[in-house]
Amino acid sequence: MRIYEELFIVKPDAPEEEVDQFIEQMKSVVSSSGGSVDKVDKWGKRRLAYRVDKYREGAYVLFQFNAAPETVKEFERRLRVSDLVIKFLTVRIDQTLKRLEKRKKDRDKRAHRKAAAPSPAPAQPSMAQQMLGESAAE
Amino acid sequence: MTESKGRPGSAGQRPTGGDKAVATQKKQYFRRKKVCRFCVERIDDINYKDVRLLSSFIAERGKIVPRRISGVCAPHQRRLGDAIKKARNIALLPFAAAI
Repeated sequence: MRIYEELFIVKPDAPEEEVDQFIEQMKSVVSSSGGSVDKVDKWGKRRLAYRVDKYREGAYVLFQFNAAPETVKEFERRLRVSDLVIKFLTVRIDQTLKRLEKRKKDRDKRAHRKAAAPSPAPAQPSMAQQMLGESAAE
Repeated sequence: MTESKGRPGSAGQRPTGGDKAVATQKKQYFRRKKVCRFCVERIDDINYKDVRLLSSFIAERGKIVPRRISGVCAPHQRRLGDAIKKARNIALLPFAAAI
């Protein structure tokens, strides 16, 4: 199981109910194959940076789900087939999340160690040291 | 030839990075030392959805700003480039912006 993020753009002139129905359908695609949907976020209409299929704006929808690779294949196939969706992007994020968590943990640990053993103040602390000290004080 | 080949790793002789602060006595100018914004502000996550952050690292025409200009460190520039390219793919950022 991997964590994925799926961001897709829905046509701006699509009716709201239809979009909601489509989102429900996509949710069931994930859950029926043993995955779980963590988050669904509708960003609303946004201006696109460039024209896509003659549309200058689109409604962004963000999915975050935990699923097997085969599920993603099916998910993408459905997006491709659907008339509502004009563009999509799939990103695997479990490794990124792991890395971020590790960095945060390391940072906390370091801050903790700094707080526990206050170093003797040097005569002229350098810029970097000053900044480090400030953030540690926070 | 063979002699120079024999000791390529003479450490002290190698040129260092060109984007360091230079305040030479001959030339009367001072270049401010550039710092990596992601290191200073401790931004761990360079996310492709964060358009506001990314757009500060693209030029007027939509190009990625080189790190010799922006001062971003190599690891962060790599992640920044990846994020910008993802954002371009989903039409959050332009491939080529019109002026």
